[in-house]
Amino acid sequence: MKGRTIVITSGKGGVGKTTATANLGTGLAMRGHRVVVVDTDIGLRNLDVIMGLENRIVYDVVNVIEGTCKLSQALIGDKHDFELYLIPAAQTRDKNSIEPEQLRELCAELEEQFDYVLIDCPAGIEQGFKNATAAAKEAIIVTTPEVSAIRDADRVIGLLESAGLHRPRLIINRIAPEMVKRGDMMDQKDVEALLAVEVIGLVPADENTVVAANRGVPVVHNPKSSAGQAFLRIAARVDGEDIPLMDLEPKTGLISRFKDLVGIGGRTYSHA
Amino acid sequence: MPVLKTGVVQVMARGTDVAFVIDEKAPFDLVASELRDYLAKQNGLWSKGDITVNVGQRLLARQELAQVKAIIETHSGLKVTRFWCSPESLDGGDFHIEAKPSAARSSGSKRNTADKADKPPAHNEIVLPGEASNNPAQPSPAIVSFIEQLKARHNKNGARNRNLTEALFIKSTFRSGETVHHHGDVVVLADVNPGAEIRADGDIVVLGSLKGWVHAGASGDTKAVIVALELPSARFEIAKYQGIAPASTRRKSKSSSSGPRIAYVRNRSIHVAEFAGRFARYSKGVPYEG
Repeated sequence: MKGRTIVITSGKGGVGKTTATANLGTGLAMRGHRVVVVDTDIGLRNLDVIMGLENRIVYDVVNVIEGTCKLSQALIGDKHDFELYLIPAAQTRDKNSIEPEQLRELCAELEEQFDYVLIDCPAGIEQGFKNATAAAKEAIIVTTPEVSAIRDADRVIGLLESAGLHRPRLIINRIAPEMVKRGDMMDQKDVEALLAVEVIGLVPADENTVVAANRGVPVVHNPKSSAGQAFLRIAARVDGEDIPLMDLEPKTGLISRFKDLVGIGGRTYSHA
Repeated sequence: MPVLKTGVVQVMARGTDVAFVIDEKAPFDLVASELRDYLAKQNGLWSKGDITVNVGQRLLARQELAQVKAIIETHSGLKVTRFWCSPESLDGGDFHIEAKPSAARSSGSKRNTADKADKPPAHNEIVLPGEASNNPAQPSPAIVSFIEQLKARHNKNGARNRNLTEALFIKSTFRSGETVHHHGDVVVLADVNPGAEIRADGDIVVLGSLKGWVHAGASGDTKAVIVALELPSARFEIAKYQGIAPASTRRKSKSSSSGPRIAYVRNRSIHVAEFAGRFARYSKGVPYEG
């Protein structure tokens, strides 16, 4: 069976594309799929660091495309016991070192071997973006509930649609439930109304995400963390499972704690 | 509003105006036969009246124009008084254009009402004088058009012409960075997001929230309007006028932008009022002068 190539993009930098790629890749691999993540942020590679594979890099995506090495040589196996591989970006080159067509060919080759090919897209809408999106047949947009990130996401969705990548899906990252409740942060409905695309996941702001990235172990490995759970659920949804979005209500107040205690409505997450 | 449509010939009716719009790419023989069949079928639908034939970008030879005229006039009770084509096609056309408005009109077209004869045709109309069409072979200054140049678009007939250009429908959210310039009305069946730009020679209607930048009546038509279900956008233009929301509106944008709004030009500035129909009489709305 041919694999699915999905690009993870955002327009704005620093909203969590790379973190989302690492976690989604790991999440899908945990579900038993053969997954490869490709870092196309040439010159500013990060994905290897977040996955804790920095020390194992010998060859990179530019080497493969230029034919300096075989594809199998550039595939770095994950530290954990999953069918998860990384093709890192080159650090000493720039975005213009590859052409969209070359990446498309590479992904076509990867699709033969893997169930999922996830492309980590660089920030911006220039050459790197064009390279990354050309190869994909599906797109996931990462945004945070901030106007600047949403504006960029809107622009990117427009560009994707004009490039023929219709119906991209959205991950809203770094939601602070307390701020949403106070009305200081946009909620899922606001973002959905602005961008008019399907939301595939809500990820709460979680310190564990930062800790996990620093350790080089994606947060999905920590099933107790709220962000880890969120990414697992997103992986399940990408995989075609129909599970409701999390309701990111802050768990405060005596009543809800009491309810938790005695087990009425005893689920942490109600249906969104 | 298009009332009837066949393959290549389209009949548009708007108020009392009737126009035949002919497909720009179809071969002429097909157009002629379809038009004939169509009119034969619809025989008796029209009593009489003057009509305009819009040929778009097609460059028809004189004989062909005359043939179209003959077909329409024999199969319906209508009288073809004008042909209309897009201005670009006139430049390269085989029409010999003579700018002798008054003389040509008095010798040429036989218009029944004096008021009509006094009205100068718009720049991209081809007035087809009666005798020329009856006898197309005659080498006379047969087809005369008064093209001032493209700037004539800005004259007061501009509003009437744009009725004949079909509206552009945008069916999904118009996003940041997307732009369009249409020589007619634009209808958006979704939101116009911040950072998007729409320029229309006619009206702009947004069945959603208008947050981007739009310019209605971009060719100078001050009668153009902007209508939106929500109008949080703080800056837009109509003809040569710029609208900037007053500071008070901007501050409490949520409450003031709820409900459909219309923006129009009144007293050389843009006003915004609650929408009460396209042809409602709007008094002074909220002036958008910053």
